[in-house]
Amino acid sequence: MKKRILLVEDEKPLCLLYEEELSREGYEVTAVTDAEAALAKLGQAEFDLIITDIRMPGKNGIDLITQIMGLRKDIPIIINSAYQSYKEDFMTWAADAYVVKSSSLDELKARIRQLLGE
Amino acid sequence: MSELRKDLISGRWVIIATERSKRPDDFRPPAPVAAAAEAAGFCPFCEGNEAKTPPEVFALRAAGTAPDSPGWTVRVVPNKFPALTPGPPPPRASQGVFQSMEGRGVHEVIIENPVHGLDLADLPVAHIRDVLRVFQMRIRAIEGQLHYQYVQVFKNKGKEAGASLSHPHSQIVATPIVPKRVKEEIYGADRLFRTFKECAFCRILREEEALGARIIARTGHFTALAPYASRFPFEMTVLPRRHSAFFVEAREDELEALAAILKDVLTRLKVTVGDPPFNMVLHQAPNQWLSARHWPELAERSHWHIEIIPILTKVAGFEWGTGFYINPVPPETGAQFLRQA
Repeated sequence: MKKRILLVEDEKPLCLLYEEELSREGYEVTAVTDAEAALAKLGQAEFDLIITDIRMPGKNGIDLITQIMGLRKDIPIIINSAYQSYKEDFMTWAADAYVVKSSSLDELKARIRQLLGE
Repeated sequence: MSELRKDLISGRWVIIATERSKRPDDFRPPAPVAAAAEAAGFCPFCEGNEAKTPPEVFALRAAGTAPDSPGWTVRVVPNKFPALTPGPPPPRASQGVFQSMEGRGVHEVIIENPVHGLDLADLPVAHIRDVLRVFQMRIRAIEGQLHYQYVQVFKNKGKEAGASLSHPHSQIVATPIVPKRVKEEIYGADRLFRTFKECAFCRILREEEALGARIIARTGHFTALAPYASRFPFEMTVLPRRHSAFFVEAREDELEALAAILKDVLTRLKVTVGDPPFNMVLHQAPNQWLSARHWPELAERSHWHIEIIPILTKVAGFEWGTGFYINPVPPETGAQFLRQA
């Protein structure tokens, strides 16, 4: 059975790129562009992993993680952000990994595989 | 709100506690208001004065008694002058090379018993066990809020040890980062694990028990010893003999045994050096949830324990400058005195 990933990314072109690349890796990707939509999806379906941006319109990714932790502590979370400077803090936000956005998705894919035990 | 500031060179975080600078017991005479009030016979921690503390977050109390009223045996309240304020920490800020973050965290006071003059060592073992059980409950509750990476439980007894009120109490401070000293202990234990192929604390326990010279007391579950490189006279460490990284994993029978050995060693300390001020500090692995995610190996490499540091000497210039401590009482001698007490 395909592993399900919830992707939260407000930049639509990036969202499409990730969706395409990760689907090609064999994952079932549900992409949303804001935190509220992510929380709604979490209420509707089961996910094996969540990838979220930090800076998004409306609720930011850190608040989203805090809210997810109140609901579920068992889903691994990757922060995918352009901000290198936040990397030291990701544990404080209870995420499992922090990947700085880059044109190469190799690191992100590697972290996904690691967290899903593949 | 307080602020956490990182020392660029050492990597140490400092809490710049603006809330606490408003504390009545300020740095200079005239005599602190709290101490003066206490000297006049008033104590906010005594039974009957519940309204003088912030509302309780937890209490062991008689059935049918209302929160913030008499009838409790152990009571937990937020610190009136907290070093840190609850809430998820925002990202770090920086100004040039200097890093800071809002002082988010938890700061609670555990009032160990309703009677002013009864110290921890004076309480029955069952009551001390209840205090330890409350520590566990609060650690679990705080660790559930995943933005706190480390929960520190400690007790300051006596003014020289940092206590601003003499009514017996302990404190819990949860921080949004793993403190430097805790990291140093983790890294040290990790390095030794790779050398010994077992938990360094378990190895130390085995060797100390075989040697015997620094053992102060021993039961089926716990060993109290004077550390080999004790920094202070009559310094003690109480270690569980069953390996565990997390204090919250201590079972009910182990809490009972811990209560008994704490009562024993604290009474020995009283008898040997005349009821000195002391600091009692719980050492454990960071937040269990975060450890499981980020340092899964900690469960086998870290070993919770309690450190008791009597305040009999002063940390002065040489110690501050070098990190060396000058201990005038060899731990073997200290342990012998405490054993014989």
